[in-house]
Amino acid sequence: MIEFDEPRRRAPYETMVPLINVVFLLLIFFLLAGTMQPSDPVNVNLPAGQISDKNARLPAPIYLEKDGFVWLGKNMVPPELSGLLVKDYLKKQGTDRVAIKADKDAPADSLLTLMEGLRQAGVKQVTLETSQAQ
Amino acid sequence: MFDEPIRRRGGFSLTPLIDVVFQLLIFFMLTTSFMHSQMLTVSTPAPSQGQLPQDANVVEIWLMADGSMRVADKPVTPDKLTEAVKAALKGRTDLTVSIFAEKGSRTQAFVTAVEAARRAGATNVATAKVDKFTP
Repeated sequence: MIEFDEPRRRAPYETMVPLINVVFLLLIFFLLAGTMQPSDPVNVNLPAGQISDKNARLPAPIYLEKDGFVWLGKNMVPPELSGLLVKDYLKKQGTDRVAIKADKDAPADSLLTLMEGLRQAGVKQVTLETSQAQ
Repeated sequence: MFDEPIRRRGGFSLTPLIDVVFQLLIFFMLTTSFMHSQMLTVSTPAPSQGQLPQDANVVEIWLMADGSMRVADKPVTPDKLTEAVKAALKGRTDLTVSIFAEKGSRTQAFVTAVEAARRAGATNVATAKVDKFTP
């Protein structure tokens, strides 16, 4: 009877080395390529735009939902009151630079009500966040 | 005589290391975002329409409730908006472009109008909300 050699068993950790290499590569890729930002309190579909004004990312944006409701920090306020409440909010935040993340289907008059309130609070310019148009 | 110290085997276990690396990998995969948003700077509107300049040096863009747009009282499609504003400006950059958003118009139309005005060369872009289109 012919006897074959048994296949040699490789040490288990040796087969893991390429896997670890790939995982490390992925890890470094995500570390370098991604940016971390706090998650939004509400889901907004940003309107598409092409102009990109160079602007540093502003902290604590004001959110405008699809149904027109405005998020000042963690408080949701109806659009008609947002103009009045935004002054207090800005005073608490200690800033006069404002970014607005508005949903593309949000009513424009809610956005303008909010912006009128900002004007009365002394803010001359706001930054609207848009997504890159395809 | 003392015993010789026990020699540890060279091949240590990689499993805890891999566990940690996978945890880190999943963490970064879930928390990173690659969507780059852009910033569009807009002047805040005057509290009432009456405070906007009403003279001849104004080009008006109207955003209608049904999603249509009008420039200088003529209906325009959103993709032709920049050309229409440019034509209405006639090469002058000192004119003010006023954007009136009718009740019911959407933010996307507003952003499109602001960008069209800026691309047409306008330096002053005013905005206001109105209840109903008044030609």
